[in-house]
Amino acid sequence: MKRRNLLKLCATAGLSFASPVGQRYLAGAEENTPESAPYEGPYYIVLNASGGWDTTYMMDPKGVNEINRLYQQDDILTQGNIRFAPNAKQISAGLSNEEFFKKYTNELLVFNGLDYSVNNHSPCSRYMATGKLDSLEYPTFAALVAACNGSETPLAFLTFGQYSATGNLVPLSRIPYLNSLKRLANADGVDGSPHTFYSDDFVRDRIETALMTQRAAQVPEPRLPRLKRAQSMLFAAQLNSKALNRITPYIPKSQGKGRLPSQVDIALASFKAGVCVSANLSIGQFDSHANNDADQMKLIPELLAGVDYLASKAEELRLRDKLVIVIQSEMGRTPTYNKGNGKDHWSVGSIMFMGPGIKGNRVIGATDDKQFLVPINPRSLATDQEQGIRVRPEHIHVALREFAGISKHSFSRKFPLDIPAGEQLERFWG
Amino acid sequence: MLVECDLDEVVLEMVYVTSRTCENKMKQLWLAVFLMVTATVFYGNEDKQFDSTTTQKPTVRVTDGGMETVIHREPSCTAVDAFFAEEVWGKVGERTCLKCHNAKGDAAESEFVLQETLQDDTALEKNRQTFLRHAIAQEEGMSRLLLKVAGELEHGGGEVLKNDSTGYKILSQFVRRSTGKPMVFPQPTELNLKPFFAGVQMMTPGRLLRRVTLALAGRLPTPVEQTDVRKGGLKALDIIVVRIMKEDAFYERLQEAFNDILLIRGYDGVAETALSYEHFKHRNWYQKHDLSSVGNEDAQREARYKLARDYREAMLREPLELIKYIVRNERPFTDILTADYIMVTPYTSRGYGIYQELKDKFKNPDDPFEYIPTQLPALKHRDGRSHQESPTGFYPHAGVLSTFQYLKRYPTTETNRNRLRVRMYFEHFLGVDIMALAPRVNDAAKITTEYEIPTMEAADCVVCHKVIDPVAGLFQDYYAVDGKGIYGPREDGWYKDMFGPGLYGEDLPAEDRWRSLQWLGEWTVKDPRFAVAMVKHVWYILYGRKPLLPPEDIDDPLFSVKRRSYLVQRNEIEQVATRFAKANFNLKVIFRELVLSKFYRVEGLKVSTKDPNRLAELDDLGLIHMLSPEQLERKLTAIFGRNWGRLTHRESNFKILYGGIDSKSVTTRITEPSGAMGAIQRIMANDVACKNVAADFSLPAKERRLFPSIEPSVIPGLNAESDQQIKYAIIHLHHLILGRDDAAEDPEVQRTFDLFAGIISDARSQDKFDPRETYACQSLREKTPRDPDPEYTIRAWRGVVTYLLRQLDFLYE
Repeated sequence: MKRRNLLKLCATAGLSFASPVGQRYLAGAEENTPESAPYEGPYYIVLNASGGWDTTYMMDPKGVNEINRLYQQDDILTQGNIRFAPNAKQISAGLSNEEFFKKYTNELLVFNGLDYSVNNHSPCSRYMATGKLDSLEYPTFAALVAACNGSETPLAFLTFGQYSATGNLVPLSRIPYLNSLKRLANADGVDGSPHTFYSDDFVRDRIETALMTQRAAQVPEPRLPRLKRAQSMLFAAQLNSKALNRITPYIPKSQGKGRLPSQVDIALASFKAGVCVSANLSIGQFDSHANNDADQMKLIPELLAGVDYLASKAEELRLRDKLVIVIQSEMGRTPTYNKGNGKDHWSVGSIMFMGPGIKGNRVIGATDDKQFLVPINPRSLATDQEQGIRVRPEHIHVALREFAGISKHSFSRKFPLDIPAGEQLERFWG
Repeated sequence: MLVECDLDEVVLEMVYVTSRTCENKMKQLWLAVFLMVTATVFYGNEDKQFDSTTTQKPTVRVTDGGMETVIHREPSCTAVDAFFAEEVWGKVGERTCLKCHNAKGDAAESEFVLQETLQDDTALEKNRQTFLRHAIAQEEGMSRLLLKVAGELEHGGGEVLKNDSTGYKILSQFVRRSTGKPMVFPQPTELNLKPFFAGVQMMTPGRLLRRVTLALAGRLPTPVEQTDVRKGGLKALDIIVVRIMKEDAFYERLQEAFNDILLIRGYDGVAETALSYEHFKHRNWYQKHDLSSVGNEDAQREARYKLARDYREAMLREPLELIKYIVRNERPFTDILTADYIMVTPYTSRGYGIYQELKDKFKNPDDPFEYIPTQLPALKHRDGRSHQESPTGFYPHAGVLSTFQYLKRYPTTETNRNRLRVRMYFEHFLGVDIMALAPRVNDAAKITTEYEIPTMEAADCVVCHKVIDPVAGLFQDYYAVDGKGIYGPREDGWYKDMFGPGLYGEDLPAEDRWRSLQWLGEWTVKDPRFAVAMVKHVWYILYGRKPLLPPEDIDDPLFSVKRRSYLVQRNEIEQVATRFAKANFNLKVIFRELVLSKFYRVEGLKVSTKDPNRLAELDDLGLIHMLSPEQLERKLTAIFGRNWGRLTHRESNFKILYGGIDSKSVTTRITEPSGAMGAIQRIMANDVACKNVAADFSLPAKERRLFPSIEPSVIPGLNAESDQQIKYAIIHLHHLILGRDDAAEDPEVQRTFDLFAGIISDARSQDKFDPRETYACQSLREKTPRDPDPEYTIRAWRGVVTYLLRQLDFLYE
């Protein structure tokens, strides 16, 4: 059965969907729109350096007060307006800072001096992902934007790890294997075949119609809220899953090698097919309590190479101009080394953004020579030690919600982020 | 709030005492009158349905420096003032003040000590009196209560409420009420005093039976059980639950479920590395095990692979087998923390190097999965020196807590200093998530540099670390860091810059130093939170989700009703925990209690409601839980008599895609279906129907599960008898696959009939169709000739089964 017909039938039957899943379906059906269009962006990737990155070896270089053993202040490099730590000589694989900032400075917005407020992995991860420290209910930004922009897409919110709460707004999907996508794309084909089906077309249509009419019959019945929600989500999941067949042409023949490329391939194929809105990508082991420099010199280049892979592949797929990338970690690392040559948790750090609508070649905020944050004026975004504010994840998330155009969406209002009046970051995105 | 007290039921006494702060008696008199009125207004009759916030306290004693007011009330008029219960206590006291101002909290020594209200129905009233005393007491013309929460008067907790916050406004209102000033804020939301389960449909015992057998034993009810329940109702069901908890399948489920909770199978490295190189020189015994009797080199290689696989699986299972052993033998579940033994098999005992001593105790020494309890000798180090201290000569076992698998699953580092283990200990055994609501500090970075030892000196850090670090010290003998083993004290001695080993202010006695985890276990099981945590675990096993957390947002207009839902559920859990403890901590008691509880028996609503308050109250009600990959496989096996396998096979990708876990990097199950999971449901429905329908028809009718009473030759529309026959076949399928007990005229039966008839009609309307079942779905893979299907009925029945397998009644519990 054509999706268009299904939707018509759905509307005719007075079929409604429990909030939130499926609302856009019904809207489409009522408007008698043609075959549901693939989601066309913008797409969002939140890339997390899990464990706590050392920002002083990246976009917030110090080289003083024995904060860094691998370079001194004089060695700090600059590309455009962005200062960064050199590391080309220290790394054996991946992408050096020199290469990365040379290639992407014009697109990068760097924020230094972010106050994570606490320094434990679990609350920090939650805080960075949601903008809310003291709640277990809030959705991550990636989940929220997926719910607001395309909850009907079958893989609306993809996650490859890290804190992934959804606030019950949208189902999350885990697709760890590229070849799984092929199988899922052809659920009615015998062993995933796109040519040989379990049943004839008319049988499949009959089954879908029966499920649809059954669903319509359930609507007026007295139902517990939980049942109502489950029925909606189940129906939407099965119906939406059919759109996965769009993904087949975009599945790369081979999966990228490395931790991030394998995630990138799946996310981009899903974006390209219009079946996904956002993805959490994750790369771990940054928690360098021992041998900080050696570990960070392996991991930072791997992370940046992953970003480069993401940007390059997105370019190839012509998704680049619709792709927003947030690069973050849940904490920073101390300005001092411990006895094991490691660095411990530090509640001050950085975050980077790139994508359409974000003016690059900019650095907002700062830390001082001892790696303490310097407050900023939220209006001018200039540092202001005396009158400025400490920018915390909620400030960033409020700005992100504004940027994504979802701040007034009912889902966002359901999970408000309270920042004091006058603390909204103005013109943050340029 | 309903007001049904008569004024004459409230006898007001005013006791004048020496006044320090009141300026005139008129003010005192006014206060007394005000209290009388508010008592009349707010002390409504006790409504037993609102079971968690009522109190039997017959007397309210209010002291205002110069005046003591005593209100005597009859039992019929004892509900605590709704404003206090819902606003002051529900939104501020319980959520904010109680954290420190409790008998064991940081503010235990203060004059403002509060009590939990759930278990003590006089506590709410006591708390109200405490609040009242501090609301009325004044310092420089301001309420002491308000000054304290604003961080004045050297409040140990600093500023806890900003003066523009809702919490502060509530307290302000309370102060105004208490001091007789006009009320300026809106009244609290009127409570819904209907019974919580009013209008909720409960399951019939028969349907509950199916739910229970599938959930606990992965099977359908037997005819005998069905008859018993039909005759004996819930009492009979209780007996069946007891029997189910003797079946092996229950213990497989128990093991799987406790791994979901403890994630113990997810430790790094191959399984035998739980046994450290330093202490277990036989841990790789399988590499040199004599397999010469197996056959040639290839056969021996295969046998060795299997040997290693079984050994590793046996090793992974050990702590979970301990749980099974405790429950199966109805030992106190406190053994999970206090058992002075572990479970070993013939294979794992070889790894420990104790097989020779134990081999006669095994029924079958070749069975890799025969577990028996035993004690390990104290550990001896390869270096011949660093042996484990043990006056008894045995390893100081402390249930799961001291197993190498658990300790390896939650390893430590030089900087973590066992704190991860402490976090998991609190979560697993006391139900406390110490990382859930980490307190925000103004400048965490600055604090960490301002103090030499922030965790012992900075108030912001001390508040948590004085609880965490003593427990971390109890794990100090298991300090082989960086994954290099488990046992081994720190070379330089335990850290001096941490609070010393102990628990909640109780220091670890020196004589218990060698058995510190045993000491911890013994203390823990005495903590009332242990029993509650275990009930919550079983709740999770049965519901696939954790019990409700208290609502967070006091500005949410639905806060009070959400809190009621939480309290009603919490009350149930507390009551079951009490009975569990009284039953000598027999875990089976929790299963029995929860299975028969109203929460688990909820079927649906009798009538629709659009009342947002009621809908919010009911939001979490009902099991309605999407089956996990493992549960779905078991259900398929129970219904079709053979497993599908693709959801749980170790080579299959579907397990993770369908929301399963690997206990390592993927540790949380997905409980709501995405499009990807919807696709897997379609694949499953197509494939299972494909594999089973023609195959079932190929059997003699009496051996069939799916179609015992119909043949493919029966087609719809032929006559009334054939249609009736088809409907009976559908009713059977609905019962078997969906657990429904439909009558022939049920609309769902008609819908399925229409599907069946419609498919055949469509087939006939084709120019032609293959008169055989498709190649992929024939009864046997290479069957020749293929299953005949001249009327298209086999394929139509396959369509029906596919349709049923995609329904919520099948895919959810």
